[in-house]
Amino acid sequence: MGHRILIVDDHPSFRASARVVLESEGFEVVGEAVDGASALHECCRLRPEVVLLDVQLPDIDGFNVCEQITAYAEHPTVIMTSSRDGSDFGPLVTTSGACGFVPKAELSGERVQELLGS
Amino acid sequence: MTGLRRALGLVAIEGIVVGLVALAIVLSSDHVGSRALVAGLGLFIGWSFIGTGLYAWWRRPDNRFGVLVTAVGFAFFLGVPMYADSELLFTFGVLFSSLYLAVFVHMLLAYPDGRVDSPQLRKVLTAGYVLSVAGPAVALLFADAAEFGDDKDMPQSAVYLGTDPVLYDVLDALTSALAVVLVGYILYVLVKRWQSATVAQRRAMSPVLGSGICLLVVLAGQLTTMAVNGPDSIESATSLLGLVFFALTPYGFLFGLLRSRVVQAGAVSELLHKLGDAPDGTGLRELLSNALGDRSLQIVYWLEDSGRWVDAAGLPAELPAFDDPARAWAPVEREGRRVGAIVHDRSLCEDEELIRSVGVAAGLSIENERLQAQLRARVEELRCSRARIVEAGTAERRRLERNLHDGAQQRLVALSLTLRLAQGRLHKDAEGAEQLLAGAQDELGRALEELRELARGIHPAVLSDRGLRTALEALAGRSPVPVELERTPPERLPAPVEAAAYFVVAEALTNVVKYAHASQARVSVSRNNGHAIVEIADDGVGGADPGRGSGLRGLADRISALDGRLELRSPDGAGTLLRAEIPV
Repeated sequence: MGHRILIVDDHPSFRASARVVLESEGFEVVGEAVDGASALHECCRLRPEVVLLDVQLPDIDGFNVCEQITAYAEHPTVIMTSSRDGSDFGPLVTTSGACGFVPKAELSGERVQELLGS
Repeated sequence: MTGLRRALGLVAIEGIVVGLVALAIVLSSDHVGSRALVAGLGLFIGWSFIGTGLYAWWRRPDNRFGVLVTAVGFAFFLGVPMYADSELLFTFGVLFSSLYLAVFVHMLLAYPDGRVDSPQLRKVLTAGYVLSVAGPAVALLFADAAEFGDDKDMPQSAVYLGTDPVLYDVLDALTSALAVVLVGYILYVLVKRWQSATVAQRRAMSPVLGSGICLLVVLAGQLTTMAVNGPDSIESATSLLGLVFFALTPYGFLFGLLRSRVVQAGAVSELLHKLGDAPDGTGLRELLSNALGDRSLQIVYWLEDSGRWVDAAGLPAELPAFDDPARAWAPVEREGRRVGAIVHDRSLCEDEELIRSVGVAAGLSIENERLQAQLRARVEELRCSRARIVEAGTAERRRLERNLHDGAQQRLVALSLTLRLAQGRLHKDAEGAEQLLAGAQDELGRALEELRELARGIHPAVLSDRGLRTALEALAGRSPVPVELERTPPERLPAPVEAAAYFVVAEALTNVVKYAHASQARVSVSRNNGHAIVEIADDGVGGADPGRGSGLRGLADRISALDGRLELRSPDGAGTLLRAEIPV
């Protein structure tokens, strides 16, 4: 059984593709959220092990959402993602408490697994 | 004017006749101690009021104050028959012997514009008029002849009902007490009015209100002594003092009028002299402010091309409303053209002629300063429009980045993921892989369309390559509302003009689709008088607001950067016409 994962992104086309990609590589996608507020809500409700979190959300900045999620005692591992390059965000990925960053175009179960193992 | 002059001449003749009749009555009287003194003083006072009143009436026919001053003079003569020997005339004279005081109070309360607007003051005035007749009437009905004087030749009242000392004393005390209260209240009103007046207003009020207030103080004192039956000597002394102040009032008023004319002539000649030194905006304001004695004076300038008022710095200025209680304005014209306005304290409205003279004297300087203000307004406009263009540029880049990110970039991301999935299935699930590839093909088509749309929004290639007509035809072809392209110039226009014209049409058609509920639109671009005229008209609901959204504002800036003009006509229910004029 793979990791239980929550996908947070406001673009439906990306959520659909990411679900197919991750499920085909053995992850269990337990839910999807379209913005920061619902991401926080779904985290509490679904208790995922991993959150794939988009940086640019319509309501709260993705890095802020990450800080709030990782502030819980038993929090899931957060992996940031964006269609931009990771270098655009400087040190924000590490300081926000995320475990790593994967560009959207390079998303695969393998990359996620690598980041979780590191 | 001649009609008014003739009418005033008739009133003057009446005044002379009435005065001469009064003179005859006094001189032939058997019960006046010093006939010459009473006749002389009476004539002097009556004619003074009538004369100065007529002068004010003639100078300012619209102001009823002159009428009231004249009326005081006539009312004063109305009391003179009390010196007559005939019982009937004596009774008439006594009855109206105090009326002039009521008219005088009316005059004071109506100063300076000749009107009493407050309903409360009107009631007080009515009470004053009634009391001025009721007081003497009580005496005529019930008082013993001795009350009117010791002279044995004093005629008897024609309406004497018999002595009733108690009733008379009660009624007399009552009317006197009422008169004291009334005079006290009027004094209070006048003092309040003085306190709340501006410096300029006080200067204008002082000659009349000064002597008027003094007279009322004396009158109040006199009435109080009468009410408490004080010693006769005080009464007669205050009576004489009151008469002096009363006689002075018309001259105070005349002095005010003449002073304003003398001051006016002096102020204008001094102003003309100083204007020779070519003052700047602040200096000009100072000079006009000194000439009119109004520290709050402001000069505003009229910009004919944009139809608005600005101050010396070129910033938009507001004129006081017609009914503003504190401020007023007078236009300044030069050679029949409006160049500016003097905004001043409302009290100066009394000196309209002075303001006009000052405006004429300073016309050239105001015209020069207007040109400066116009330049400053233009610079300010340019500064704002430049800032808006920079801001619009930044906003446009933000919009492009957002569109790229949300549109084509997301599609390409999804495409990349789909291709990777297809690659993984290629060998074990060829059919599934084929489906994924078909989906990828669609996604790629949509991404390309979005990129094309975006590129067109940045700058349509067809415009540079094939010119305005083809670019507008393409725009019309893509519009969901039918568009008729009426005409375009056969030759190419300079690239910035073509681009501006294209974006005016593009923005206008976007608005037609979004807001106008139109069934069709018309587009035309023509050359006229060195200008490219771009017009977009629709048959929609109209009522477009030029302030809505940033689109029109951005276009206006773009057009004004080319020294052109953008105009929107959109009456409710009658379609919208957007017209741009761009110099070629």
